[in-house]
Amino acid sequence: MSIHIKDVSKSFGSFNALSNITIDIPTGELVALLGPSGSGKTSLLRIIAGLEEADSGVILFGGEDMTRIRTTERKVGFVFQHYALFKHMTVFDNIAYGLRVRPKKERPSKKDIQEKVNELLSLVKLEALADRYPSQLSGGQRQRVALARALAVEPKVLLLDEPFGALDAKVRKDLRRWLRRLHDDFHITSIFVTHDQEEALDVADRIVVMNEGRIEQIGSPEEVYDHPNSPFVYDFLGNVNLFHGRLENGKLLNGQVELDAPGIDSAENRPAVAYVRPHDVMIERESTAKDAVQAKIVHIHVVGRTVHIELKTQGLEQFLEAELTKERYGELGLKVGEDVFVRPNQLKVFIPEDYSI
Amino acid sequence: MKSRFKKHSILPGFGLSLGFTMLYLSLLVLLPLSMIFVNTASMSWSDFWSTVTEPRVVASYKLSFGAAFVAASINMVFGVLIAWVLVRYSFPGKRLIDGLVDLPFALPTAVAGIALTTLYAKTGWVGQFLSFKVAFTPLGVTVALTFIGLPFVVRMVQPVLQNFDKETEEASAILGANRRQTFIRVIIPEILPAALTGFSLAFARALGEYGSVVFIAGNMPMKTEITPLLIMTKLEQYDYAGATAIAAVMLIISFIMLLFINGMQWWMNRKFAHY
Repeated sequence: MSIHIKDVSKSFGSFNALSNITIDIPTGELVALLGPSGSGKTSLLRIIAGLEEADSGVILFGGEDMTRIRTTERKVGFVFQHYALFKHMTVFDNIAYGLRVRPKKERPSKKDIQEKVNELLSLVKLEALADRYPSQLSGGQRQRVALARALAVEPKVLLLDEPFGALDAKVRKDLRRWLRRLHDDFHITSIFVTHDQEEALDVADRIVVMNEGRIEQIGSPEEVYDHPNSPFVYDFLGNVNLFHGRLENGKLLNGQVELDAPGIDSAENRPAVAYVRPHDVMIERESTAKDAVQAKIVHIHVVGRTVHIELKTQGLEQFLEAELTKERYGELGLKVGEDVFVRPNQLKVFIPEDYSI
Repeated sequence: MKSRFKKHSILPGFGLSLGFTMLYLSLLVLLPLSMIFVNTASMSWSDFWSTVTEPRVVASYKLSFGAAFVAASINMVFGVLIAWVLVRYSFPGKRLIDGLVDLPFALPTAVAGIALTTLYAKTGWVGQFLSFKVAFTPLGVTVALTFIGLPFVVRMVQPVLQNFDKETEEASAILGANRRQTFIRVIIPEILPAALTGFSLAFARALGEYGSVVFIAGNMPMKTEITPLLIMTKLEQYDYAGATAIAAVMLIISFIMLLFINGMQWWMNRKFAHY
């Protein structure tokens, strides 16, 4: 079922949690709401679920207005960050809950409930733990129970609030792959909230980047990562190096350094900031181009297959971070304290609006 | 030998604190209680049996345990209700009501007894509007016991409700459960252990209550005499052995009942230990 969010606003007192949010989600899409804490992403999810009411705006599920429909009747699946399982019920009873509370006429027979729950238990690979209580499960298992419980009522929409936030790195990775596969099998329109950019890039079909109650950018993972439309998005989706300077004739100038500023031509002689990802910072032994900057290696640390190098540029006296593959690092034979030349391979220049000192 | 009882712990003072606890409990609880049995032992078996099965005494057991049970049950229901209102809603004067709950603890029980009797007597403020008698009947005893047992359930259930995860309720609603289903299937099981603890405390307190009851009960033999009153009567007649014999029977029954309630709680807690 498609979801349309139109002009939704919400404020708590004088704090604007959400302002004029509009998102259209086609049937079967897996969308990530990505943003720092306080960006309003959880509020938006709770409004979609009906747990909170929007001050203004409309929520449509497949063309049907849901704004005034109560949570109980919205028929959404919701997965909480801290699972919110019923502690006094077994795994089986937890999953069966949504079916058992249905009014008599719609309630499946005991046998059907049993079958349905067993089917879900095998889906989340917890058949052996059906009689356990939540307190006897690990975090990853609890979250899988929570997912199975949400899926039991066959929701048309699945909402997940930081579903893997409380889990450790390995389990988190396994579980999000599993969620992706599950989504590919069932095609339930799903929205999940996360503050982890890697998680969003890894799992989602589309990412909605939010900040301070507004949408910064909507797009596929490639779009938002490769073509961020604002400094915030650039900064939020991964590490970034900043070059401050002035724009002149399509180049960013700062002291001796001259960097090409692609895509910017109209703005003449204005202060601007260039953003470069660490893996787009090239390190060379010799200066091959005019835009190479001399820098001293301050620190090298190897994390698995990638090598992170901290550098201090000479003219600009600022710190840079570069990422190399281990092979490239071996070829160059870099050592701490050496002078090298760095060259931004791909950079994006943003002109700060209303730049004032 | 030592290691059988003492597990290695990084916290110091196990021996000292356990020793102090045992001494303290012995001096204040075990020793006085054992005196009851020592005193009772001065009676012959047949004397003992005839004392504790005397019809007037048996009638008092029935009243004491019956009224205490009913009072504790009433307190369990209304205690949960009061705790619910105090935790879930905010209204002017909430703090005041919260403080009022503890008043039955602070009030000297005789004062409570006199106040209740004045209210519920045939000519009292409340009693005159009732078509049935409250004061000087078993009902009056129950009223007094309900009064003094009120704080227990409220104070036990309150923190549990306060810590109750709002998301659990939301999860229930999203799964399609209405308010009633959520309350019965999710909230009640969650607060039941605490409510039971409150119940057993209120029950135990009501069993031993003397001061407030004697005024409102009227103390008619076979009808409204509570067991503690009979013990007092025996003491006033210098029949110490007789008094302790009745006390011993009461103690044993209470012990068994509390053991049963605690066992039930233990079973419930083990079943769904909190995470």
